[in-house]
Amino acid sequence: MAKRPWLVIFLMALPLFSGALVSILAQGFFQPVPVLVFKIDVGMVAFIAGLIITLFLLSFYAGGLLVERRSQHMLERSLKEAELGRRRFLRRLDHEIKNPLTGLRAALVNVQEARGTDERQRASNNASRAVDRLSRLLADLRKLSDLEERSLENLPVNVPELLQDMVDAARSIPAYGDREVNLLISRVPSPFPTVRGDRDLLGVAMYNLVENALKFTSENESVEVRALEDGRTIVVEVADSGVGIPAEDLSNIFEELYRGSNARGVDGSGLGLALVRRIVALHGGEIDVRSRQEEPRGTVFSVRLPVSKL
Amino acid sequence: MTLLLADDDHTIVDSLAPFLERAGFKVLVVSNGAAALEKVQSHHPDLIVLDVLMPRMDGRETLRRLRHANVWTPTILLTQVGEASERALALEEGADDYLNKPFDPHELLARVRAVLRRARPGERSLSAAWLLTADDLVLDRRARRASLKGNSLELTPKALAVLEYLMTHPDEVVSRERLLNAVWGWEYPAGTRTVDTRMAELRRALDDDPASPYYIETISGEGYRFIPSVHGEG
Repeated sequence: MAKRPWLVIFLMALPLFSGALVSILAQGFFQPVPVLVFKIDVGMVAFIAGLIITLFLLSFYAGGLLVERRSQHMLERSLKEAELGRRRFLRRLDHEIKNPLTGLRAALVNVQEARGTDERQRASNNASRAVDRLSRLLADLRKLSDLEERSLENLPVNVPELLQDMVDAARSIPAYGDREVNLLISRVPSPFPTVRGDRDLLGVAMYNLVENALKFTSENESVEVRALEDGRTIVVEVADSGVGIPAEDLSNIFEELYRGSNARGVDGSGLGLALVRRIVALHGGEIDVRSRQEEPRGTVFSVRLPVSKL
Repeated sequence: MTLLLADDDHTIVDSLAPFLERAGFKVLVVSNGAAALEKVQSHHPDLIVLDVLMPRMDGRETLRRLRHANVWTPTILLTQVGEASERALALEEGADDYLNKPFDPHELLARVRAVLRRARPGERSLSAAWLLTADDLVLDRRARRASLKGNSLELTPKALAVLEYLMTHPDEVVSRERLLNAVWGWEYPAGTRTVDTRMAELRRALDDDPASPYYIETISGEGYRFIPSVHGEG
């Protein structure tokens, strides 16, 4: 539309001109012509009709221009946001690599200069811890990029069974071995509907949520995993009574490599929740979080997944 | 035993070569695929460790040429990306095993030993065969289909890939971590359970009783082992 503005203006003005022309040719202005029993100002009617059509076309055109400009603006803004996001990601990545690398360097110096087997042993333990951290970061980065490329399995997934597996898996980590996780699943009327998708990926998502809940709670706080369904949607909630997430962090925690003020100094790649969000989105679902830092405090992550149609 | 290590990254080979030498191997080092081909012809190594991304000729092309020339020296491919298609390709070119970077050198050593144990010098390895048969079980790798006593098995692609890995590594104890690394391409703490789920699916399809298995045995605390001998064709 915007490519030939003169043609557009000409076409829009055409009805107005033809109306004016008709009104002059038909009668000379303001001389009513008798049609049947009525005297109708045919010239004026033609003129007004032309005017109305032109005005209509004009408003249509202006509206189109406006929409176009707005969408252009939105595109620019989302490009700018993507660029900002990319820079933020690189800055965070730089930070996540810097720390273990510094540790690794120091540990290597200690290995070289150690004055006994004990010191050397401690230094090499530190070195391998730093390497583990880097490997974990790399592995999660790869999972994220892999998600964009791999083809998803599309099979019915038994959610209660999956949740039980993932809760068991999280509790099999020595640090969480003595922790209780309450698993609540509505069992009446049975059976619980299935979700269509990739069991392994959904497992990664659920596991990350459960492990997070355990990571950010202490022994006397509780963790609960519950699943509900209403025939269309399955809702999985992972709730804990831990310290809660500060309000200013809540909107950012699903971002890649974002670390909320609670999460600084806590083990983890900083990609766990980003992975969860991506996996849930790939399954046509949504994830939300609500959290309170005052009593009764705690955090609830809720994942909504569409029930598979038979 | 002579081992040819082909990788263009000096920090990697400078550390891996002495490590493998300490384990009792004679190690030859080259930094690109063309040089690897020459070394294979002049020195006839017992095993090749081949990096995928190399200048002049990449590892994949090198392996293709070797196999094309009917050279069946056992080869471990070092892949960079943990992508499923990459691993399928690795099989297509007849690698005996593959390892994702970054890896633990002990893991490489374990693979080297396992591949050497399985190797029959000069013969085409199971990893390069398209049709695998173990008694009543037939796996057609090109068509991605398995059948038992002539009846087609209904398996998820993952379970089929697990079966494929086990059948190309028969009589070898394969850990869950290794299956994850090889079939899924990534590891995570709950991953071992993921492997168990697929294994249960596979056993159901094969009608294999875990208590007295015919095909797949669980080695407690270690992993799984494919019991019957496997015959490869084509």
